[in-house]
Amino acid sequence: MNDGKRELWIGWWTLVVFYNVYGLLFFVVTRTQPPPEPSLTPAQVVQWFAERRHGLIYGYAFVFIVGGATAIMNATLAYSIRRMSVSRAFAYSYLVIYALATLPGMLIMGVACTVGAMRPDRDPALMSWIYDFAFLSFEGTMGVFLIGSLVWMVAVLLDENGVFPKWFGYLNLCNALTEVVVAPAWIFKNGAFAWNGTIAWWINMGVFVTYTIVFLTLLRRMILREDFGTGALP
Amino acid sequence: MNGRPEAVRFVPGQPDMWAFVLFEGFVFTAYFTAYVFSRARSPGLFLQSQAHLDLRVGVFNTLVLLASSWSVARCVQAAREGGYRAATRNAFLTMSFGFGFLVSKLREWVVAIEHGFTFTADEFSSFYYFLTGIHFLHLLIGFVALAVAVHQLRSPAPHSQEIVETCATYWHTIDFLWVLIFALLYVMR
Amino acid sequence: MNSGAEKRLMLVWLALSAITLAQLGIGSVGAQAGLAPAAIAASAIGIALIKVRIIIREFMEVRHAPVLLCRLTDLWVVLTGVMLLGGHLAGTAFPKR
Repeated sequence: MNDGKRELWIGWWTLVVFYNVYGLLFFVVTRTQPPPEPSLTPAQVVQWFAERRHGLIYGYAFVFIVGGATAIMNATLAYSIRRMSVSRAFAYSYLVIYALATLPGMLIMGVACTVGAMRPDRDPALMSWIYDFAFLSFEGTMGVFLIGSLVWMVAVLLDENGVFPKWFGYLNLCNALTEVVVAPAWIFKNGAFAWNGTIAWWINMGVFVTYTIVFLTLLRRMILREDFGTGALP
Repeated sequence: MNGRPEAVRFVPGQPDMWAFVLFEGFVFTAYFTAYVFSRARSPGLFLQSQAHLDLRVGVFNTLVLLASSWSVARCVQAAREGGYRAATRNAFLTMSFGFGFLVSKLREWVVAIEHGFTFTADEFSSFYYFLTGIHFLHLLIGFVALAVAVHQLRSPAPHSQEIVETCATYWHTIDFLWVLIFALLYVMR
Repeated sequence: MNSGAEKRLMLVWLALSAITLAQLGIGSVGAQAGLAPAAIAASAIGIALIKVRIIIREFMEVRHAPVLLCRLTDLWVVLTGVMLLGGHLAGTAFPKR
């Protein structure tokens, strides 16, 4: 039975499966999240890589293989924006921004960590450099996500087709602001504002996880309601 | 329409904005808790650093924002009774108070930095700039909300009372969050 | 404008401003009187939350809102108070250095 929504459901399930796999890979297999301290000495950094060597290599190898799934995920999200009454430009900008976002959000960290894990006998100073590069690129980048959230927010607030409730637009604002909150991570090596800090990481993660669960739920509802028209969603 | 009789209960503005207010409220509570916890662990250090702050400036900031909340509340009430000119005046008054806060805060930061009280000076200063900074950002967004409200009030009918109330709800949030920030950074010592 | 409502708003604003001005004195008095840090913290937080609740109920009109919204905002105020006091006590239990 195909009511024309098959592709949408494939897209949605890709999102759900990917986020779960992503969580497993980052938190359990590679153990790069929650992030370690920025204040580790080069010797401790070498130790950190040694403890995770196989998890890093195999975990990120898997990330590189399935990473392309983000294309399907971003397309599904962009579709929701296209269904809105607002200009198509919103959907296209969102697509471009989030396509770029896979670099700081996943790939650069993966490359850096596998480079670090590949040769355990590398100069500790270099390992320290790789460590900083990995975590700053992952935790400290916000430009793409900030603007992306704002694009989605404006689209939702202006939309007259009721694709998403207005409170989701405001939640995008919360998510966008948390990106700004991460910014001090570039300066502090310890405390609440370091890349592993209570504010820059833990509270931030709380907001981001809430945001993700919410938009996955709302996307599912959108697909259920979809009538493939151009007017208000039933 | 002469406003609503007391017996009828209503949600001011979009319920969606209230969801945002509550969520953002919880996030800020988390930030405040992190601050209070850190402070209690190193009371001496924090107390010493807090001396850089002038309580009178904090009081002034609070009074200005309280006045802005008053004017935006008056704006909503005027609009509710069809007094759009009065409502618009109150909205602009709110903007002026907001601007006053902005200028005062910027000046406070500049003077503090000149005296070596920078973002990275110590644990207290980093919390101070973070909390006042993120609040400042919310305030800037508040101006956008007020502009949206003014647009509603000045455009030919139909005016959306709901949107005006929604914008006011956002503005009040900036005020009550500041009341807490003021107490934690300036008063508690 | 409904003058009863107008008067009420002004009284609320005056009350909030008065409490704020009073805090000018409290800050210095508390430290001089040698009050326990926990007491100073509790009073600062307590006064702030009273002001916050007044803003929410009067300026934000939650006074006239459905019961659910009243409960939710009150819940947030209470939760904030509990977390802040808890955070303070937890911090004193684990001092740095």
